[in-house]
Amino acid sequence: MSMFMYSKTYFFKPKIVNFIPLRSIKAKVPNTFVNEVDKDGFRILELFPTKIKKTVKYQKSIPIFTGREQKMPVDQDWPTVWPSQKTFQPHSVPLPVRQGYPKPGEGPFSKIANTELMKIPNFLHLTPPAIKRHCEALKQFCTEWPKELDSDAKCTEHFPLEVLYSDYCYSGPSIRDPLSRIITFKVKLSSLKLDYHAKDKILRLAGNRYDYTSDIITIITDRCPMRKQNYDYATYLLIALYHESWRKEDWENEKALADMEYYDWEKNQSKKNLVTIYAWPEIPQDFNYAHIPHAEEYKVAVSELINNGEDEHSINKYKQVVKKLMFFKPEKNHSTESE
Amino acid sequence: MNKSQSGRYKITNKRSRPLTYEMAKPPYEIAHKKSWNSWNTSNIINGNRPMECAVEDLFIRKFLTGTWCTLFLSEIIIKRNHNMIRIAGIVKKSYDPIKYYFLIGYTEELLSYYLHCPVKLELQSAMNEDIIFKYI
Repeated sequence: MSMFMYSKTYFFKPKIVNFIPLRSIKAKVPNTFVNEVDKDGFRILELFPTKIKKTVKYQKSIPIFTGREQKMPVDQDWPTVWPSQKTFQPHSVPLPVRQGYPKPGEGPFSKIANTELMKIPNFLHLTPPAIKRHCEALKQFCTEWPKELDSDAKCTEHFPLEVLYSDYCYSGPSIRDPLSRIITFKVKLSSLKLDYHAKDKILRLAGNRYDYTSDIITIITDRCPMRKQNYDYATYLLIALYHESWRKEDWENEKALADMEYYDWEKNQSKKNLVTIYAWPEIPQDFNYAHIPHAEEYKVAVSELINNGEDEHSINKYKQVVKKLMFFKPEKNHSTESE
Repeated sequence: MNKSQSGRYKITNKRSRPLTYEMAKPPYEIAHKKSWNSWNTSNIINGNRPMECAVEDLFIRKFLTGTWCTLFLSEIIIKRNHNMIRIAGIVKKSYDPIKYYFLIGYTEELLSYYLHCPVKLELQSAMNEDIIFKYI
């Protein structure tokens, strides 16, 4: 069925077209319809030509077919009527759609000649049966999800590396977007096999790429122009980081107290002070604290206080331990006093 | 006083100036009572090629008003998704359909050569009176 139909001559004044500045201009046709000739072949001059009766041409009026949308069968296959994205067409949509800000006392405008409906994107091609068909068609390209990986925990256990990148959809003749080159690698530190030295070194090498709260190392690469190159570079960085952290250089043995990443009570002055005070007035030969009562508790309290920061709990704990240390009464004395 | 004049129409003495819905709503009603005539991703934040898109839209509008002389009753709507350009609008119903078919093919062919994109014309035909919203 044709979209454009012949119509009866349509009288309406004024028309919207009258306000559009561009017009088609018809040239005036010269009066050359005197075709009668005499026997010698000359045209006959008629000073007072008899008026030719104009034959009125009637345009064959074809009725404008309207209401195609109403004649559609109820059980028609809609995805074949509207297979893909398309501007709204009122005569092929059998729905009483309305849009527009109405005049007072009126309803929103109907779908006929409604530009607002043509502007907005419609989802008439994305009806549930159409999506179902899409999925059915795509199924042949899919593989089954492995049954062993039934939980997120198992997925992260077997595939600890997470690779993130984005694809961008833009309107324009090119589908390339420079932002799609960026690659992000995320890996949990606990999933890497590291000893004490390697873990310390990998944290120093990673710097602020390591997040203490989530225990994740994030590597972002965007210096190469292509995604593949950035992926390769990120892979190289991760491998290099891992192997470099396992390697121990000679100068790493020179790690001093100031280089420690945490407070080690045994290496600090606090231990020496405790042992010296306990042995006073004699000078202690070695800094062995095993024989000092409550020394182990004191060690834990001081380390916790400095490593985890001061808060009410840790300060209270420290206070209790110090009180125990300072006012410690041996069992013997206690028993004699009571006697 | 606010002297802005674009998108506003003078009231006639006899209240005989017809306006479409698009014309009847002033520019500050865009996104409230009427929507944009150009739909693309160029003008969002960090959108790509905004100026090329604006110039191309201008070219398309000029081309269509010239080629489809007096046939368009509404504004020309240009919608872009991916590399596709969809041109929508309302045209006169009382015109030769064969000429329309020629014009559609001609426009699609030429514009897709110029813009290096597939171009589609998705038109709706309507009577003159259908699109008149009110008289002022």
